[in-house]
Amino acid sequence: MLQILTVCGAGLGSSFACQMSVDAVLKELGVKAKLDHTDISSVSGAKADIIISGKNFEKQFERYTIECPTVFLNRLVDKKEIKEKLTPVLKEIGAL
Amino acid sequence: MDGLVLNQNNVKLKVSASDWEEAIRIGGMMLVEQGFARTSYVDGIIRAIKELGPYIIIADGLAMPHTRPEEGALGIGCSLITLKEPVFFEGDSSPIKVMICFSAVDSESHMDILKMIVEFVERGLIDDIAEADTYDELLEVIKEDEKERRN
Repeated sequence: MLQILTVCGAGLGSSFACQMSVDAVLKELGVKAKLDHTDISSVSGAKADIIISGKNFEKQFERYTIECPTVFLNRLVDKKEIKEKLTPVLKEIGAL
Repeated sequence: MDGLVLNQNNVKLKVSASDWEEAIRIGGMMLVEQGFARTSYVDGIIRAIKELGPYIIIADGLAMPHTRPEEGALGIGCSLITLKEPVFFEGDSSPIKVMICFSAVDSESHMDILKMIVEFVERGLIDDIAEADTYDELLEVIKEDEKERRN
């Protein structure tokens, strides 16, 4: 199943809140996925098809080798922004 | 399950703080006073923001200061403060008017607090919460919307 990972600094607050909003957007789009959240220091070895994080982490992501598409959000629980940015990625990987 | 939801003891409205750090100290010390965290947890929040940027701003006007449990969390708890004058974080232009600090013991079990926060955002309540002068007014803001939602 499609795996989506949300990422933030502590790996339990912002990323978890983001996960809830992503979940709601995916339901709206009718896409099934396994969701999880983690902190930025664990992102390097993480297994995921799409990684979603905050725009403020974009620079720090450059330090890691990430092989899947990444989405950076200005506002982690903004469903409109999530839908806008996630939809093309879902299409790109054939999940939508 | 004490401390999971808002009550008279974990809410302070129209608080004066000169900057984000002071605001986090006020909200964070409310966690300490309730027995949900050590002072080191509050220091940890501030240090993490300085290192990682304002990852705690999840919506316009709203920050939810938190950090990793091992920094000194003792239980699951939260506090809500609103600010008389908004504070700003380096790297984000949004004036922050509402701060919900929380402590967590693992990566899942504080879900109820986050659900409440995400709901506030989705229901567009942040500005109204910021304007509440009393605890009863705050409850009214939250409740009134629930009423609308049920209809």
